[in-house]
Parts: sequence; C-alpha cells; structure tokens
Amino acid sequence: MATQDVEMKDSAAAPSNSSAPSPPPVLTHLKNVSALIEKGVVTKEVRLMIRAIRHIMTLRRKIKASHVLAFLKQLLPPGSEVASRLLLYFPKEDEKDMEVDSPSSTSQTVPSKHTILPELEIFAYLLVLIFLIDQKQYNEAKNCSSAAISRLKQFNRRTLDVLAARLYFYYSYSYELTDSLVEIRGTLLALHRTATLRHDELGQETLLNLLLRNYLHYNLYDQAEKLRSKAPRFEAHSNQQFCRYLYYLGRIRTIQLEYTDAKESLLQAARKAPASARGFRIQCNKWAAIVRLLLGEIPERTTFMQNGMKKALSPYFELTNAVRIGDLDLFRSVADKYSKTFSADRTHNLIVRLRHNVIRTGLRNISISYSRISLVDVAAKLRLNSATPVADAQSIVAKAIRDGAIDATIDHANGWMLSKETGDVYSTNEPQLAFNSRIAFCLNMHNEAVRALRFPPNAHKKERESAEKRRERQQQEQELAKHIAEEDDDEF
Amino acid sequence: MEGTLSDVSQVFDRFKAAFTRNDLSTCTTLLSQLKVMLTGFPSLPPLYCESPTAIHELTLARDIFEHAVVLSVKTEDQDAFERDFLQLKPYYTDTRDLIPPSAQEYPILGLNLLRLLVQNRIAEFHTELELLSPEALENPCIKHAVELEQSFMEGAYNRVLSARQAVPHETYVYFMDLLAKTVRDEIAGCSEKAYDYLSLQDAKQILMFSSNQDLEEYVTEEHPEWEIRNGCVYFQKAKESAPSKEIPSLQLINQTLGYARELERIV
Repeated sequence: MATQDVEMKDSAAAPSNSSAPSPPPVLTHLKNVSALIEKGVVTKEVRLMIRAIRHIMTLRRKIKASHVLAFLKQLLPPGSEVASRLLLYFPKEDEKDMEVDSPSSTSQTVPSKHTILPELEIFAYLLVLIFLIDQKQYNEAKNCSSAAISRLKQFNRRTLDVLAARLYFYYSYSYELTDSLVEIRGTLLALHRTATLRHDELGQETLLNLLLRNYLHYNLYDQAEKLRSKAPRFEAHSNQQFCRYLYYLGRIRTIQLEYTDAKESLLQAARKAPASARGFRIQCNKWAAIVRLLLGEIPERTTFMQNGMKKALSPYFELTNAVRIGDLDLFRSVADKYSKTFSADRTHNLIVRLRHNVIRTGLRNISISYSRISLVDVAAKLRLNSATPVADAQSIVAKAIRDGAIDATIDHANGWMLSKETGDVYSTNEPQLAFNSRIAFCLNMHNEAVRALRFPPNAHKKERESAEKRRERQQQEQELAKHIAEEDDDEF
Repeated sequence: MEGTLSDVSQVFDRFKAAFTRNDLSTCTTLLSQLKVMLTGFPSLPPLYCESPTAIHELTLARDIFEHAVVLSVKTEDQDAFERDFLQLKPYYTDTRDLIPPSAQEYPILGLNLLRLLVQNRIAEFHTELELLSPEALENPCIKHAVELEQSFMEGAYNRVLSARQAVPHETYVYFMDLLAKTVRDEIAGCSEKAYDYLSLQDAKQILMFSSNQDLEEYVTEEHPEWEIRNGCVYFQKAKESAPSKEIPSLQLINQTLGYARELERIV
C-alpha cells in the first residue's frame, strides 16, 4: 500500500544546487519546502501545501539522518519542547557528522524566533516520522506519531489540514507496521469526528479510509460497512484517497455478495490508481478478478499480463483458467496448490464460493454443446464426487435453469436434459440498452474531464478589470446620452 | 462486588438445574433476572474495567449467555437467539486475551451460521465467516454449516437433507428442520422452471412428501397455479423474455434527446 504514496508525477522540484554548492542539495530542498509551507500559510493557499508534501515524497529516498538533524536544528527554536523531543530520535554521533556536512547551517539559526508556525512544527514531526519509517525504526515511529497526534489536537487551523491528513496516514501506518492497529481505533474515530465538525474534508476522507483499513485488517466487515454507510460523503479531494475508498468499498461489497457493485468499485480503483502504485493495483486486480469470476464473467487475458503484475497474478490466472473450462478437478488442484497465497490475500473464502461457479460454467458448456444429454453423463462430465450423482445433477441443473444460467428443461421420466434453442439477442432490447450505457459512460467521462480542468488562479481578475472598464464605458455612454438628450432639449 | 458475584452464581445454578430438568419457563424468568444482575458488573463489555474478579465475572457472564443461546433454540425463538448471540459475541471476539476460550464457542458460532442460512441472510453469513480463523473453519461444527451453504448454493439439495442425519450437535436439529422446509420451497421453485410436468410419484419423491395427500395439500396451499391432472403435476409457465415486438419509442426518444443535449454542450 505504501507504494501508492509515491507521487503520480514528478513535480517540478527544481534542482537548485548549482547556485548554492556549500549546503547539501537535500537540505536546500528541505528549506525550500519549509518556505513553501510558510508561504502557503500566509496566502492560505492549499495548493502550496500539497506541493510541499509532494516535494517531500520525491526527496524521501535521498534524505539522511544528517539532513533531518541539520534541518531540525535550523527550524526549531533551541530548547523548545518539540526540539528536545524530536532530536531524541537521533543518536549523538550524527551531530558531529552534521557539523562537518554543513557548518554554515548552525550559524544561520535565527535565535530571535522563539515560536514557530504550528504548520512548520507539524511538518517537522512529519519529516521525522517518515524518516523513522524509512529507517525501519517502527517502534520509535509509533512513539513519534502518537506525540505528533497529541500535539496536533491542540491546534485548530485550516491551513494545517493538508499536513494533518498526511500525519494521520503515517500515524496509522506506523501502528500497522507494529501490528497494533486495534489500539488506535478509538483515537481515529475521535479524530474523524473532530474533522467532520471542522468541515475538514480532506481529513475526513483520509481518516475514513484509515478506519476502514483498520476494520478490514481484522476482517470486521460488518463494522466497516456500518461506518461507511453512515459517514458523510462528498466529492473526493485526493485521488489516492478516493482510490483507496473504492478499493475498501469493493472489498466490503464482495463479502456481502453485491458483486456487480463490487466489480465497479474495484475496477475503478484499479484504473484510477497512479501507475507507480503497483502493489495497490495488484491488490485491486486480484479482487476484481475474483469478483468477475463470481459474477460468471471471465476476465481478459490481458488483465493478468500487465507489466510487472504477471507473477503476482499468476495464481489468479490459473484459477480463471479452471473456471473458464469448468473443470472441478483442475479447480480443486489450483486451489490446493496456491492455498497459502490465497490465505495470505484473504481471498480463501471467496475461492471456496467460486466452486459453484465452476459447476455453472461446466454446465453451460454442456448445455451449449448438446441439445440432449442424459443426467448420468452430466454428472460424469461435471465430476461431481458424491454418493448420488444423478439426483445431485438433477437438482443442480434445475437450480441453474431457475437462476437463468442455462436455458433448458429436464425430462424426468427419461432422465435427460434438453437444451433450448438460443434466441436471437438482437430481437430483444438488450443491444439498445448496452449501447445506451456506453454512450452515457462516454458523455459522463467528458463532463467529468471538463469539470476537472484547472484554471490559473488570477484569470478571473482580468475579467473583473474588464468589467470595471465596461462600467466606466457604460457610464461614459450614459453621460453622452444625457448630453445628447440635453442638447436635444436645448434645441426645442 | 463479591456479594453480587456469588448471588449471580447462585441464581445461575438454579437456572442450570431448571435447564437440565427442561423446565423452560422457569429458565426464561431466571434468565431475565440474571441479565439484569449482569448489568451491575463493570468488567463486562463494553466497559472492561479492570478488577480482581474480572476474569471470573467474564467467564460467568459468557457461560450465562451461552446457556441463553441454547435455551432460545430449545424454546424455538429465533429473535431471542439473535439477541442472545449478539450479547455473547463480544465475549468471543474482544475478550480473547482475557479469558480462556470456551468449549462451546464453535458449536454456537456454527449454530449462528446455520440460523443465518435458514433465514436466507447469506450476506451476513459470509461476513461472519470472514471473522473465523482457519483453525475455526476446520472445526466440524463450523465446517458443517459451511458445507451446507455450498451445497445450498450449488443446488445439491439432497446433500443438504442428508446432512441432517450427521448433525455435529444436538441443538442443530431445530435449525436443520427449518432448513428442510426452506429447501423444499427452493426445490419447488426450481422444479417449476425446470420441468414441464412431473408424475405425481416423481413430484412426491422430489419434494420429499410421504403421501399424495400431503403433496396435494402443499400444492393447493403454496402453489395454487400448479395443475394436477392425469396423475401428473403440470407447471404453468409464464415464459418471460419473449422477443420484444414493440419498440419502446418513448424511452428511445428520451434517450436520443438526452444525447442531443449533451452533444450540444460539447460542440
């Protein structure tokens, strides 16, 4: 999942190391980011905050302990609570290292500034947290994140929302890595409530996903669905969060047998996810493949052959093959062969559900190939391992007929199944309906694309200026008209 | 606290005595008393206050609710079953670290699965199933319910019925009987679609009636649209999905106008 945080596009992190060669480039970047945050706070521009976060993500791999330490020393007022707490996470010997690295930075510290912006403080927490997670110091990360959350609770500033949302994510992530998610469920619920009251939609979105993840981690589908259906919904702010939401929604729906809706959410999640979020997309594809199989569809071969997913999806590919052929024996052997993978993916119970689809497919194949076949042969072809194969076959066929899987009748006296002629689908309204849904999809896509367009922030100012000009012009015209009218009066 | 704990144990002993005597009405009254008394313990869900007697109290409460569930099966009260089971459930999920697991856990969980199956609440059935560990799924009581669901979905109804002979726990019989009725309705529904007609003899066998009399009663009660003549049952079939003769013009006009409107916006 963490892979999803890798940013969708390389944002314009301008490499400015050429101008300032003395401090390491990473440090300059960090400074730039903090400047960006300050600017964002002053102008109350959410976009700048998002960009700041994005910069950090691109920097993430390059950051070293010395960088963080140097940055913190510069940013945080010495002796403050935050500083003393955060610097604890760094072993002492790094200090020397840092001084060698950037001697100028220590001298640059601004002693006059005793308080710093809450945004920057939270940013410092976030930076340390990400660093600790990257260094695999999970227990330290857990402590750090808890401290950050309790600090965060003391603020109520809208400019913090973006940073807070990221912080929530890493808070939950650090607990997940130490396998103690259940501990923070109460805190997350409280945070979600606070975010709702403050109309912090990004926070709500993030926290809702974290809660869903928390519940699903323990297979608590019931609670997850109850929360999801009651939580306020609004238009998504972040694409990543929306993808996650769709994925969780798809999983819940799958468990509750609403396969059509589940398929829609899972496929949408897989499509919307950024290309670099490979792990997430693999998960989506796995679930989507199973849901489609459960629906009686056969996923295309290309789904399993996508770049970099081939290996991870191969168990599901073999499973699909077994279902497609309708061979119970093959299905059983595949399920056994990969039972470990399926248990790890938590799809084992779904695979068990698939058995009846395998039978259905087999039956459909039989029904297509034969116009009349005895039930004994049906039982043999389906390889039903039971004591009374014919009676079983009969009731299975009867149920398939009722569910509309095959179009046939059973002749009980002679013990055979008669398939009916398949009707011409073009004599029904079906093609028209399919056509309509596709057109609707395209039109909707276009509309959404238009809505998603972003305009430069000051574009409307020009317009306003022209409006002012127009007013002036109108005024002039009016005056002119008055003059003319007066002149007219004069003439009389 | 000690006093109430011993009080509860006493009442519970009386309850158990009545329970083994099969004195169900006494059991019910005692049970409501017990439930009221349990509210006095702060160590029980949802508070989980820590106290020296917490383990004892939790175990006792769990025992009481387990008996309550079995009692509701005996009195054949499905609503009470659901209520009691939901009260019991936290003791299986949330107190796992506090008290040792109960021997009754799997039979009761299996029983609940069976109930959901009987009430045709398949979505909830699967939600419950997800909560079970792989070890739990291997337990005969749980496995029984899971296999029943599979056979039920496949349509292998006679397997469902034969499972009645092999119940893992005596309390299961009640639900298995209910399930048999559900299965009969299912079979009737399937037969209606799958056969043109059936001889009375065959219909009797398929629908599991012992006499023609029963069968005829069932037909007049549940499926008055079926017709019995010449020793056969004819199923009236309202065959749907006939090719549509008329064009749904109004709908088509609406759709086309919709496209035109959207296109105009684009151009």
